[in-house]
Amino acid sequence: MQISMASSGPQNPSQIMPLELVDKCIGSKIHIKMKGDKELVGTLLGFDPYVNMVLEDVVVYEISSQGKKVTRLEQILLNGNNIALMIPGGEGPDN
Amino acid sequence: GPNPGGGGAKPGGKPGGKPGGKGDAQSEKKHKETIIDLSKHMDKPIRVKFAGGRECSGILKGYDPLLNLVLDATTEYLRDPEDSSKLTGETRQIGLTLCRGPAVMLICPADTLEPIANPFVPQD
Repeated sequence: MQISMASSGPQNPSQIMPLELVDKCIGSKIHIKMKGDKELVGTLLGFDPYVNMVLEDVVVYEISSQGKKVTRLEQILLNGNNIALMIPGGEGPDN
Repeated sequence: GPNPGGGGAKPGGKPGGKPGGKGDAQSEKKHKETIIDLSKHMDKPIRVKFAGGRECSGILKGYDPLLNLVLDATTEYLRDPEDSSKLTGETRQIGLTLCRGPAVMLICPADTLEPIANPFVPQD
């Protein structure tokens, strides 16, 4: 998947800009892994320059040696401070 | 008791402007640069370690000055649920991912990392 950039941005014209990738994901499912052992899957409604995210129909997985604790939430604002990894289109830790 | 220095003004305070400023042209140079040039690693496999202990590797497909990374064909290295500093050797393929700059602790070429014998165990 390559996106070519007409203007702005650094030297290499055919790389994928990280925040553009997040932007393309708006409206789709995204799987987010936090710095700790928490993961979320939800539909991305939007985000801000700090990558705080608004998500819908969220499933939260808390991973521990005892297994995964699952919670469901309708709509959340996720604080971007603790996000480590994001997987656009991801379905969660169960596949 | 009342301040013997008198009034509200700080003694010896500077009237205004940045103390020690060298002028506008010089202060532009202080603009932060990353100490790693990621353009050299584009389309190459890199290993990434995160604050909190997560590790992954993948092909670098993009980055920005804040060190957000786009990795393709990402492999996640799974950790022992009982000891999160230990890798189990298990991996998961997670495809195209975005690594958040603020969480990235280490970036290195994927082929320059190798396990060594524990140097802290006394050899007797």
